[in-house]
Amino acid sequence: MPTTLEPTEVMDPDLDEAAVIDRPWIVLVWNDPVNLMSYVTYVFQKLFGFSKEKATELMLDVHHKGRAVVASCGREEAEMHVFRLHEHSLWATMEQDGPAS
Amino acid sequence: MALRRRFVPPVRAVRGGWEITLDEEERNLLIRLMGELGALMTGPEDNELLLRLFPVAYPDDDEKEAEYQRLMREELVTSRLSAIESVTDALDPERTELMNEGETIAFLQSINAIRLVLGTMLDITDDETADDADVGTTPEHQLYDFLSWLLEWTVRSLSPD
Repeated sequence: MPTTLEPTEVMDPDLDEAAVIDRPWIVLVWNDPVNLMSYVTYVFQKLFGFSKEKATELMLDVHHKGRAVVASCGREEAEMHVFRLHEHSLWATMEQDGPAS
Repeated sequence: MALRRRFVPPVRAVRGGWEITLDEEERNLLIRLMGELGALMTGPEDNELLLRLFPVAYPDDDEKEAEYQRLMREELVTSRLSAIESVTDALDPERTELMNEGETIAFLQSINAIRLVLGTMLDITDDETADDADVGTTPEHQLYDFLSWLLEWTVRSLSPD
C-alpha cells in the first residue's frame, strides 16, 4: 500500500498586512532656535553613538531643513529614543514611516 | 608685570572629574534657579512655560499621544527632578569634590532646561528672535546669555576632542 505524505500546510502571509506591521517608526528631531548647535551635536553623539561628523551633519539638517530623522526602528525602541531626547529637551517626535514606493 | 587674571572656563574637565569654577554668587543664583525649575515642573501641567520641557511625541495621533503622556510624563518629571537635585548638590559652595560624569550631564540638562523656559518667556521662536535675545539688555536676556555661555563650556568639557 503506497504511503502518501500529508500535504504540508504552507503559510501564505498577507504581504500587505505584514508590511504595515513591520513598517518602521522614525524618530524626528525638529529645529528649536533655543537649543545650541554644539549642544544638539553632543546629544546626538551621546544618545546614538554617532561620530562627531555624522552628529554634526544631522544637527545641520535640523538647523537648515527644520528637522532630521535620527533613528528608524521598532515602536518601543523609538519611544525610548523620544523619551531620552525629551530628557535632554530636544524637540523629538515619532511617526510610522510611509509605505515603501 | 601687569596683573591680569587668566581666564578660567566656568566648567572644565580635570584629572578625576569635572570642576565648576563659578563664584559663590553665581552658584547661589543657579541653585535658586534650580529650585524655581523644580517648582515649575511640579506645579500646574498646563503652564505654557513648560511647553518645551514636555514636547508632544505623537503629533499625528491623539490616542497614542495620550497613552504616551500617561505613561511617560511622570517619568520625565522624576528624571528632571533627580537631575536638579544632583546639580543643586554639585553647586553647593561648601562642596570641594569634583563632579562625576553623571552629575556633569545632569548639569548640562538642567541648565538647558532653564534656558528653554527663558526662551519661552522671551518669546524666542526663530533664528531672528534668538539673535535678538543674545543682545537684549533686560535681566532675563542677560541671564539667558549667561546660561548659554555656561552651557557652551559644559558641552565643550564633555566633548571628547
